[in-house]
Amino acid sequence: MKTTVKSMTMQTQSEHEAARASEGRTEILSALIDGELSDDQARQAIKQIGHGDSDRASLAEYIAIGDAMRGLSAQHGDFTRRVMAALENEPVLLAPAPERKKSERRPVLWLAAATAAAITWGLWQSSPRDEAIAPLAAVQQPGMQNVEAMPYLAAHEDFAQAVISAPEMRFSKASLEVRQ
Amino acid sequence: MMRRRDRPLACVLAALFAALPISPALAAAPLSANDAAIWLQRMSDAARSVAYEGVFVVQHGSAMQTHSILNRPAGAAQAERESRIATMDGTQREVRCTQSGSVSRVTEGGQVRMEKRLNSRHFPDLLPPNAAALASWYGVRLGNLARVAGLECRQVEIVPKDAYRWGYVLCADKDSGLPLKAVMVNEAGTPLMQYAFAEIRIGSPSRVDAQSGWTMPELPAAMRPINAEAVNIRSLPPGFSRITAVKRTLPNKPGEVEHWVFSDGLTHISLFLEPATHPIETIRGQSKQGMINMVKRQVGPMQATILGDAPWAAIEAIAMGLEARGEPR
Repeated sequence: MKTTVKSMTMQTQSEHEAARASEGRTEILSALIDGELSDDQARQAIKQIGHGDSDRASLAEYIAIGDAMRGLSAQHGDFTRRVMAALENEPVLLAPAPERKKSERRPVLWLAAATAAAITWGLWQSSPRDEAIAPLAAVQQPGMQNVEAMPYLAAHEDFAQAVISAPEMRFSKASLEVRQ
Repeated sequence: MMRRRDRPLACVLAALFAALPISPALAAAPLSANDAAIWLQRMSDAARSVAYEGVFVVQHGSAMQTHSILNRPAGAAQAERESRIATMDGTQREVRCTQSGSVSRVTEGGQVRMEKRLNSRHFPDLLPPNAAALASWYGVRLGNLARVAGLECRQVEIVPKDAYRWGYVLCADKDSGLPLKAVMVNEAGTPLMQYAFAEIRIGSPSRVDAQSGWTMPELPAAMRPINAEAVNIRSLPPGFSRITAVKRTLPNKPGEVEHWVFSDGLTHISLFLEPATHPIETIRGQSKQGMINMVKRQVGPMQATILGDAPWAAIEAIAMGLEARGEPR
């Protein structure tokens, strides 16, 4: 399990680097998928995709990733095909948005996150159920249980205004920087 | 004076919290410090000096609880005052407060457990006896007239002047000044906890001992004074002072702890100190809506647990201000 996690991390990193290397192209593709390009920009992007096989492949891949994130992982091929077909004939389907300022655009980093999510998704689907749950449990280390906090909450209730049952607490590890 | 509005409880409950979120439109110009003090004191006095009997609802997050309440001031200067609160749903629990103290009685699984409480604060008696002093740390704004439990009431916003306390929006009965509704709000005005009467009768309660099945027992003191303090607090958030420091046992926990309470009169923060049996990791805790904040940390040889229905800034300030006695400054 440990090696799996490690290789996953490495793959995520290399994907991330790749994404950064072709940031310009990626950004345009990402904006196109999100419907964030203006009419003119969308038309131009689609024209370019029409000419480049690698861009077409990337676009298909990104749409598939988006599907996986939305939980449509099964049989996304069909949906992708339909989108690609629609792209060829009716670019208007993508509902181009009015032009926005660059600063308002979502950072292109979501693509890297999408890649990682897609990979993780794939691993979980192919691994036994118990193993898929284990890493999640390991992440949630509260460090303190609600039952442990209960006596303190109950004692404080003498000074709180309500006679209400103690609330559910969430705990996280913290580090206090104590300056002397 | 007898006033009563009988309504089917369910209807009232449904309508009770419908007026929220608190509309910022009610924000009028803040009262002068003098007028603010007068309003605070009026509401505070009413909760103790007015006789009332009714049913109120508490809502915190997704939890809601109904309580019956009776307040009976008696004797000169309410010296023989008695109030009783009993839960009407969930675990059977009753709290009785008299001049001599406050006792809670819990009936669970056929067993009765009585505990002495350190304090007798409860809705609608939320403001301290010297409420006028709160005007240093909270501004007061008067809002519109509203209607709670069939009675007309004036909305009174209690707005903290800094980030160390939560605010309140009260609705004070037009005639008596008794708070009929109280909403604890965060800095964004989002309700954290709400109390509201569903039904109330103001005046002399008719059946004084109708729900009495027990008399207040003489319980051994739940706490004893502290003789030597292992921990020192360098500074407190503005307006806060230590109002209690005792040794006590905690419910369902073996051993004694020191329980300190810091308050500005409205906001209360508890500090629990006990010997650290192992190195203590610093843990932060928060209730779902962020109303209650908590931190556990090690201070010298002690484990310190700080918690209260106060913003994180206040809890953090107290946690950071602790030092073991004899530690270099």
